[in-house]
Amino acid sequence: MTTNYENIAEAVRTGEEDVVQKLVHQALDRGDSPQAILDEALISAMDEVGQLFEQEEIFLPELLVAANAMKAGVEILKPLLGEDAIKSYGTVIIGTVQGDLHDIGKSLVSMMLERGGFKIIDLGTDVSPENFIQSLKDNPETKVLGMSALLTTTMPEMKTTIEALEKAGLRDKVKVIIGGAPVTNAFAQEIAADAYAPDAVAAKNIVRQLVGEED
Amino acid sequence: MKKTVRCNRYRPFNDEQAKMVHETVLRVLGEIGIEVNEEEALELFQKAGAKVDADKSIARFDSELVMKLINQAPSNVTLWGREEKHKIVLGEDRVCIGTGGTAIRVVDLDTGETRASEIRDLHDMARLCHHLDNLHLYMLPLYPNDIPKENVDLNRFFSGIVNTTKHVMGGVYTVEGVRDVFEMCSLIAGSPDEFRKRPFISMITCVISPLKMDSHYTKLMIEAAKHGIPVVCPAEPLCGATSPITLAANVVHQVTESLAGVMLTQIVNPGTPVILGTVSSTTDFRDMRYICGGVEMGMISAAEAQMAQFYGLPFYAVGGMSDSKVVDAQAGYESAMTTLLNVLAGANFVHDAIGLFDFALTMSYEKCIMDNEISGMAMRAAEGIRVDEETLAFDVIKEVGPGGSFISHKHTARNMRKEHFLPKLSDRNIREKWAAQGGKDAARRAHDLAKKILDRPPEPQLPAEKLSAVTDRFPQIVYPAK
Repeated sequence: MTTNYENIAEAVRTGEEDVVQKLVHQALDRGDSPQAILDEALISAMDEVGQLFEQEEIFLPELLVAANAMKAGVEILKPLLGEDAIKSYGTVIIGTVQGDLHDIGKSLVSMMLERGGFKIIDLGTDVSPENFIQSLKDNPETKVLGMSALLTTTMPEMKTTIEALEKAGLRDKVKVIIGGAPVTNAFAQEIAADAYAPDAVAAKNIVRQLVGEED
Repeated sequence: MKKTVRCNRYRPFNDEQAKMVHETVLRVLGEIGIEVNEEEALELFQKAGAKVDADKSIARFDSELVMKLINQAPSNVTLWGREEKHKIVLGEDRVCIGTGGTAIRVVDLDTGETRASEIRDLHDMARLCHHLDNLHLYMLPLYPNDIPKENVDLNRFFSGIVNTTKHVMGGVYTVEGVRDVFEMCSLIAGSPDEFRKRPFISMITCVISPLKMDSHYTKLMIEAAKHGIPVVCPAEPLCGATSPITLAANVVHQVTESLAGVMLTQIVNPGTPVILGTVSSTTDFRDMRYICGGVEMGMISAAEAQMAQFYGLPFYAVGGMSDSKVVDAQAGYESAMTTLLNVLAGANFVHDAIGLFDFALTMSYEKCIMDNEISGMAMRAAEGIRVDEETLAFDVIKEVGPGGSFISHKHTARNMRKEHFLPKLSDRNIREKWAAQGGKDAARRAHDLAKKILDRPPEPQLPAEKLSAVTDRFPQIVYPAK
């Protein structure tokens, strides 16, 4: 790796978006290929950050600023690479179930999945079964549907939504993953969801498994 | 590791009350006096201007003499480590935390059995404490029951010095031992003068409550002061037993008695580094036995810290112990309570605060790990809340706005480690993850952490040539200790 790439990696780790962008431009100016910058500088830096996170050497906010810095670099490369060059694992629709306004955990999962290579359609909070179904119809390429609930009183909405999917004949088209503080693996099995994730990082890995792109 | 923190938010006395305590201390020193059962000390006191009743071996001090000798003592004492980062300055309202002693039993890490402590346990404790981030100062916590008394001082100090570069403080048992330890330290430092310039050990002697200087301990105090080794002269008044039952009178006793020690060191060697000290505590009313987990112990020690600040003397405080026999909830809440009271009062060195319980008779490796965590949390509390443009974060609040999230904001990543203590022992996992990791309680997790550190091979913290110079000169040193 050239010194320039080491500097880009360092700026990704420390979340310096401006520095990442400046260095990516410099690398392009001297004639480096966009693909090389993406693979050897940005993605490898993010992989390293991911490892540090899993070892609990760094924490979620640090991971996210690094992800944002990486994204800032990718934005420059995107038009040069073409959409196809950046690998996408597929589309995920996500939302907090009807009657529940909790946002943070769901948004975190959105962010992790997006940085993890998925296209995210985030329907926000208080999402009715009808809204989930409509979104699925509008985006037929969707592979995974994610639901979040923070209240024990809104957890049954997950079951209601899965039943609605069945009625609409869409249940077989998508994998369903659920999460949220009161949600458990046992509950996921009880309502016949495909998966449960205890946190946002696990969610990313499990969704990759669901779409057959296991790391 | 955090450097010492400044804090003086908990003030058990208001100014008027502190003055009343001070006036009572002066009355006790002037009207009642101290019994001094050591001839050299009594003569030194008399020469310095104390009124001595030779028949009763009582020395009385007028307020002018008391204040003159107190003012002669340094307000700050530097306790050097053998690495610059471990240097501690005791004094004013700075706070640090460490082990204490001297326990005679240890909970064996492998068998869980409580047994007589041996020299190998001192080595293991020092190795463990070297790795504990929130332990700033290492006090030799155990008595080696397998070492003949005449070799105890040397072996105890060696066990600390060879295993940690933190400052090593310890009680001493014989005058010859003090001399041996001084010679060993001079050998390591290069010369006696080099050692005196940066003393990386200090010694603890004691004054006996109520109002008594014992022959043996006073000899040790004089010996340490002559060598210019920093010396602590704590007293241990116990409510209802060796002091009146009331907390204020306990404070009066501790201050009076420890000041007698301070005065003696200043007569022996003017300006010698000396530390006002306490082991004050309370008693169990069923049999008036010593206890060390009462909240009052923390209150008394904090009050005495306030008096030490009043006199401008560095202070050796007491806290962080428990009367529990196992690492359980009682061990946690009692230890946390008195450690916190001390640090919030700016008690300079909270000794006994790591690993000690069971009436201060037993040391536990697991409790060291738990207390290290308590220490980190208490130090964080002592640091207080920083208020400036960065921490008030108006611009960040404006940028994120209503309904937004701060999780991925740079301000969060930038300040999280500075603003929040990161626990090593506490479990913060969701229930399922905790269960998957074995569903362990804090004691069990502490055990695993201690084991992880002690399973590593010992790393001597002395250069090979110093190590062999010391063990050649003193063949009575047991090393390696197995």
